[in-house]
This record gives sequence, structure tokens and C-alpha cells, in this order.
Amino acid sequence: MITDFPEAPLPLLDGTETTAELAEFGGDPVIPKGLRRTVFPVITKEDTFHMLRSQRSSPEKVVEEFAERYRSYVGAHSALPVASGTASLHMALVGAGVMPGDEVIVPAFTFIATAQAVVAAKAVPVFVDIDPHTYCMAPERAEAAITERTKAIMPVHVHGLPADVPALRGVCERNGTVLVEDASHAHSAGIGDSMCGSLGTAAGQSLMADKNFPLGGEGGIAFFSSDEAHQRAVSCLARNGIDYRMSWIVASFGTSQLQRLGYYDAIRARNAAELSRALDETGLFTPPYVPEGYTHSYNMYRIGLRPEAVGLEDLPVWKVKEAVHELLVAEGVPAREWQNTPIPCHLPFTHRHGFGNGYPFTLNPEAARDHTPQDFPVVRAMLESTLVLCRELRSPVEHERLQRYAAAFRKIAKRPDAIRTLVNERNYPRPPHQEAARLG
Amino acid sequence: MKMESIDTAMVLNRILTSGIVMSIEKNDKELPGLERLLSKHTSRSEVVLLNSRTAAVHAALAGLGKGHGENALCPELDEELRAFVTWLGITPDEAGEEETPGFDLVTVTPEHASERIAEAGRSTAAAVVLDLTPLGFGPAGAVVTDLRRVRDRAERLKIFGAFDLRTMWTQRESEPDLVPGVQFNYRLSPLVAGCVRMALMQALSADKASRTSGTGVNS
Repeated sequence: MITDFPEAPLPLLDGTETTAELAEFGGDPVIPKGLRRTVFPVITKEDTFHMLRSQRSSPEKVVEEFAERYRSYVGAHSALPVASGTASLHMALVGAGVMPGDEVIVPAFTFIATAQAVVAAKAVPVFVDIDPHTYCMAPERAEAAITERTKAIMPVHVHGLPADVPALRGVCERNGTVLVEDASHAHSAGIGDSMCGSLGTAAGQSLMADKNFPLGGEGGIAFFSSDEAHQRAVSCLARNGIDYRMSWIVASFGTSQLQRLGYYDAIRARNAAELSRALDETGLFTPPYVPEGYTHSYNMYRIGLRPEAVGLEDLPVWKVKEAVHELLVAEGVPAREWQNTPIPCHLPFTHRHGFGNGYPFTLNPEAARDHTPQDFPVVRAMLESTLVLCRELRSPVEHERLQRYAAAFRKIAKRPDAIRTLVNERNYPRPPHQEAARLG
Repeated sequence: MKMESIDTAMVLNRILTSGIVMSIEKNDKELPGLERLLSKHTSRSEVVLLNSRTAAVHAALAGLGKGHGENALCPELDEELRAFVTWLGITPDEAGEEETPGFDLVTVTPEHASERIAEAGRSTAAAVVLDLTPLGFGPAGAVVTDLRRVRDRAERLKIFGAFDLRTMWTQRESEPDLVPGVQFNYRLSPLVAGCVRMALMQALSADKASRTSGTGVNS
């Protein structure tokens, strides 16, 4: 039988890990090969039992039960369960009143689905730069991009850190636009006592199986702040014959997972806090920034690099990043770039075919602009100077694995000489944004 | 025939035990398994799985190169599908008796699953849309075709990258005329795919048994 049960436990640290030779140069990796797999989602007997019990209900009831429980958890006015995160964002935009040809302001750094959902709503995405600390949409950039045709601002709570919603709400109020959240990374994240998904006129959220709150495969949910917004979305589906329904199998898994979401969130928060403390002590690495009163869900954990702290300020930061990336992977820490260029530089937004023959971009040609990475200097600087932990930290990983991640960062930070050697030997050819666009 | 609850329970438990419930997981076996089954029994080399029948119609039209502002020769569409195709900005022209529509539409019901799959195999259209929703596991659909081009275009509509589920993370484009426009996440859950596959296997095997024993087609 194929199983995801681990084959062996990770050994406890014995204190020699951070002083051993780097794995890239022949030493033992901090996380041994064969013990690098992280399991997610965690599937338990409750999940299987609940799935069996769901067979006895009507499919509609299983989906409804899930949606109502999760809506209540988030604190949103109403919810619409759908088949994917993209569908949820599409419905959030429609519910918020976005019409064909309208402009929707989105951050240039996000997953491409944010912008494609705007196109699905037959509107035109207008891309703006991000804040250098939070990596979320910069409110002042959003305000500067508003035109007479701007209907909505759609911030993304990127990586799980809530965007600056108070400031963005102010922008919306001053300019007569609505706020639509992309909460796809931000399950259980929030500002004060309010949870992401309940902060705007509407919100969309992915619930695919690799998210902090996973459903059985693919799924999403749209949230609305009023009956009118909810009804606009429901009517759109009925009028246009769109089948975005969520499968009962997918929903059933969500209902049982929801009972354990708080437990996994607590482990993620504990792990992130411990890793952040460890990175702070390295000099070379910086942890994610979290403003006071904000709850980060750590769907992804983006790590900054400060070459100047270890005497590498003469090297281009993106080359240091490439070298550190190699060293981390060799130690068994699967760090990633997660995106290498701003979203408007991806093919669908350079060609702008849309639904075909350029629609809906043809409805508003002035808003459909050609961009280069240079138009978004903060996104570019972030992509050149950061690395990301994804599933390997969003999974509720065991404490000994977390300690080993921390040990790998400490080990590498002690070896600026090795980073310099790699940079000189490898002759990395070009910065990330000059490579073909990658989604992850 | 209708799938027994115990069989559904077995399939779901088997997949849950494997720990792989995500479509973009490279070790997933459920989606490729359903693709192979549909390919074999419709005698079409290419299969694209989708998360609803409207997604499958969208994928078939995209596969055939039809987009906003164009007309497409369609099979008879019910009111919902006609509204959906119109929402895509495509004018559905109903194929006359002498004409072959760009795609055929086959609804696979639990009672007549085997016959419907056979019907899809006999279609002369470039692509066949299979509505797998009536099998009872939630919205599900597929496009079957012999044309690699149709498959490639349809696949790109349902993911965000340039290639397929397992290599979707790049947008390095090797075929410039296949550059995606709008992209929907139309990916099917492996849990749903596993159940659909089991239901179809049972229907096809019951049909084969009844043919062998001379009792006729299943009903």
C-alpha cells in the first residue's frame, strides 16, 4: 500500500552540524538525503471517517455544511464555495460590481491567478509596485494608479501577511472604489480581531490541497460583505451557465480539516517565530517583517539577504542569492525563488490575447500597458535579494526538522568565504528577471 | 449500473492513505489513470481532464482555436451551455445534418456509462466533450481527441503555465502560437478522478461480462 507515513525519524541535533564542512563542498548535509520529505496535508482517521459519512448526505448539503462552517470561522457575511481559487477571485470581483472593461488594481507581485481572475471578470488588471517591507501592494502606488475607470483595488495578502488594509480602505473611500481581497495565502491571517476574507467588499481564497487550509484537491471560496454582492455573483453564474460548483468530496475533506486548522496554525506560528529568532542572529539572513497587530499565516516564509553584514557588499546581491540558494539546497533545505519576474512580464500579459482577439483588453486599451521589470523596482529588488520556504515550513513540521533548518542557515551564514568562492566559480549569467517567467 | 457506496469508500480511503490529494503533485497516479482509461475506451490518443462540463466545453473550443468574437459549429447545446458559450464571446452555430460540429458532447450517466463511452469513441468530431458529472462525485469533465494541438491548447487553458500539470511552473514558451491568453484553474481533484475511474471501470467490466455471457448491453 502506498502511504505517506514517514519511513524514519530525523535524528536530533548533536551540536556539530553548524561547524561541519558545507555539503556543497563534501560535508554531511544538515538534513540527510532520504529524510527531506515533508508531509502535507496531514490526513487522519477523522478525514477518512468524515468522508465516509458524507456519502450518506446529499452532495449539496455536504458542500453547504463546509461553506457555512468556514464562513463562520472567517467571520464573513456570506460565502460562495467554488471549484478553485481563481473561480473564487472571479466571483469576488463580480460580486463587488466589477464590469467588463473596468480597471482593477493588483500588485505586480503575486501568483498569476490574481491577474487572470481579473481577466476572467472581463476587466483589465492594472499592476502596481509593492511595499519593500511587507511585499504587499503599496497603498500609495495603488492610489497613484487610480483613473476614472478604476472599479476595484485587489490587494493580495502575499505569503500570508495581510496587506495594509487600513490604508487601502482609505484609498478606496477617497476615490469611490471597492476593496476586494485575494486571501489565497492568508487562511487564519488577520489584522487585530478581523480575519482575512472579511476585510473588504468581497474576497476570494484558494483552498487547494497545498494551501495552509487544504481541501480535497482543488477548491476555493468567495466571501461577501453584503447580500447584494453575494447575489450578484450567484446571478452571474446562473445567467451565464458557468459551472464553478465545488465537489462534495473536496468539501467533505475541508470540514474535517477545519477542526484541526487551529492546531496547525499554532505549529506554523511557533516554527516561524523560532526560525525568525535564529535568522536574526545570523547577520546574513533576515526573517519576514510582521507589523504590530498583524497575524501572518506563513503560507510562505520569505527570507532576506544582507550581504553587507558578512563582508560581501562588493558582490551583486542576486549573485549572493544564487550561491546561498545552492548551498541551502545542498544542505537539504529546499529553498526556492517563488517567482522571478513581475506578473505583467509573464506571457499572458505581454501578449494579452485574453478570451481571444484581445478581449477584454480591447475594451480599455489605455489600461492595457506593456511593462518591463524596471517598472516595478521594489518587486525586482525583492526577487534579487530573497529566497522562500514553501511547503517545507507551511507543513506542521516536527521540531527537530525546524531546528535543522535553523542550523543550515547558521552554517551557511558562517561561511561568507564559501559564498564568495561559489560566486567566483559559477559566474552566474543573469539576474532572475532576465530568465523566462516562472510561476513558482 | 450504479457504483456501490462501499466501493467509493474504498477508493477514497486508498487515495487518502497515499497522502496525495493534489493535482499538481508529480507522484499523483489518479489523474493519469483516468486519462489512460478514457483514452483506451474512446480510442483517442489525447485526454484533458477538467473540473466541470462547462470547463470541458471551454477547453474543447480553446483547443479548436475558437475565441472571443468568433463563431463555432457546435452540437445541440442545452440552455445553460448555450449561455456559457455566449459568455465566452463565441457564437454557437448549430451543426446541420450534413455538417460535423467541431466537438461532440456526450453525457456519461451511471446507468449508461459504457454505452456513452462507446458513443464517444464512434464520434467523428475533432474533439469530444465528456460530461462526467452525473457519475455522482461532483462536477467533472474531459476532452478526448486525436489531435495533439487540440490537447495542448486545452491543457494550457486549465493551468497557468506553458506545458502541463507537472511542469506548469514555467512559462518558457517553445511554441509561440500556443501562447496562453486567459487561463482558468480548471484542474480536477485526484480524489474525484479516482472515483470517476472506479465507476467507469465497473461499468465497462459489467458491460464486457454481459456481452461475453450473451445477455446484451448493460442497462
